[in-house]
Amino acid sequence: MNKLKSILGYTWAFIAFFIVLATFFGNERFSKVLASVTGMKVSPWYTGGDVISVIDHGTYRTLIHRPVFDALIGEKREGFIQINWEPSTGIPQVIEEKIDYDKDRKEDLLIILDTSTGKATLTAYSPSIVSIERIYRLKNGWAVRIVLRKPS
Amino acid sequence: MNQDKIKPDAIIPQASLIKTLLFILPMMFLTFAILTKGKLPSDPKSLFAIVITYLFINAIFFMLLYTGKTDRFRAIFFITYAVLFVVSFITHLIEIRGSMAVSQANMLQGETPFCHIVIPMTLIPLAFTRTIIFPGTIIGSFASIASMFVLWIGVTLALGRGFCSWGCFFGGLDDGFSRILKRPVIKNINFNWTYLPYAVLIAVVLTAAISLSPTYCAWLCPYKTVTEFVEVTSFKILMQTIIFVSLFIGLVIVLPILTRRRIQCGLFCPFGAFQSFTNRINVFEVRIDKEKCVKCKRCIQVCPTFSLSEEVWEKGKTRISCTKCGKCIDSCPKKAIFFHLKGTPLSGNQRIYRILFLYPAFLFLATIAGGTIQDGIVKIIRLITTGSMFIH
Repeated sequence: MNKLKSILGYTWAFIAFFIVLATFFGNERFSKVLASVTGMKVSPWYTGGDVISVIDHGTYRTLIHRPVFDALIGEKREGFIQINWEPSTGIPQVIEEKIDYDKDRKEDLLIILDTSTGKATLTAYSPSIVSIERIYRLKNGWAVRIVLRKPS
Repeated sequence: MNQDKIKPDAIIPQASLIKTLLFILPMMFLTFAILTKGKLPSDPKSLFAIVITYLFINAIFFMLLYTGKTDRFRAIFFITYAVLFVVSFITHLIEIRGSMAVSQANMLQGETPFCHIVIPMTLIPLAFTRTIIFPGTIIGSFASIASMFVLWIGVTLALGRGFCSWGCFFGGLDDGFSRILKRPVIKNINFNWTYLPYAVLIAVVLTAAISLSPTYCAWLCPYKTVTEFVEVTSFKILMQTIIFVSLFIGLVIVLPILTRRRIQCGLFCPFGAFQSFTNRINVFEVRIDKEKCVKCKRCIQVCPTFSLSEEVWEKGKTRISCTKCGKCIDSCPKKAIFFHLKGTPLSGNQRIYRILFLYPAFLFLATIAGGTIQDGIVKIIRLITTGSMFIH
């Protein structure tokens, strides 16, 4: 038993060297495998969540993300919805758009974004819409996050 | 020569020159391949930086083997790496983002490099939601999330908590500050403080899971002071900034200087606490030969992470928080402390145990640090020759 333990100890120590080599030389491949096996994604609290609809305006597009209420288990009472406009070259100076994010054929909000000042105004047509959380100037356009609250 | 009269910090060759050269040959070959990636750069600054880095790395490895001193030469490499990491990282951020400050838009676009300290906080949310609570990118960018996870898995299997002394790009900062004074000003530190990192770990893991955001990064990480931090746009972010800067001054600079210990690593870092558990499943450990030991307690006094005490001496091994830096081994006048492989006899050949540990540990440090040191040197040369570290 002691001899077997000893052999295993030496073997593992020897393998440790090759693990280090593989960690660096195979990093790119292992990273892809790890990402695909675990299916890991960046939290929607950072990315804004998946895009659920795209509206083409000719020179620019509006990307509406899914409402994010994600919690560790279940959903939070308060979340947000993110709306992006891109590309920056085709966006008008003032964006004025009514959004129906839940696809119930009723507009939920009106957003007016002045890209020259980076300021926006929000008109809520739905009780779920609370306020503008933040406005982002991105590399390829603009984004706005709007605070949502679940109806009680 | 009478061993009793030899000072423990004296440098005496422990191996013949020829034997040492034979042992460093594989490392010379591997570090050449790693640094050059099979091709020498045509830019003279980069070529010069590669040559300097290559000579530096292999000189350190030669001294490690030739003198038998581990911590003394590891620390030179480790501290150089940490300092040049800061130089390289900050200049890289300023070149690509224009500032050390990360804006909300940068976070939305996943432009935040991922750091290993976040890993413990991501695991519960990953298990429940299959998402990573960090504003980075999964693959394909600088310090992407998946690549840092792969590094962490690799180093955990190979070295356990050895990562904290042979790989962490922050650890060299408090290691460096802890070596400034010759004698500690604060000597008696209550051992109960060693439970603090585990408390911090539990607190940040739970709060991160509940809030789905990396709370340690937002509120406590002192290293943001020398890497990147959230742009101050609110009172809350201002408070966070005051806290992490204060922690940097206290835990990474002042207390390490006064105690000669790695206070941030040993008494606060939640990743260090988390990584301690991986020492249980790692093959390399530090053992004490109680028959050789004369109980001078020098090892207990010098251990930078409080991993040795009289209680653990009874068990003949270090605590699980040991980072395998080798400082206790270097300080022992009787060679009663040594690197060991689990499962093998304590009476085995200590030199073989040490070499079997040093090869993966040093290779890890050389690989993770090589590119950073090289880049840091290029930036310093650029500063000297053009007056600026940045590419305009």
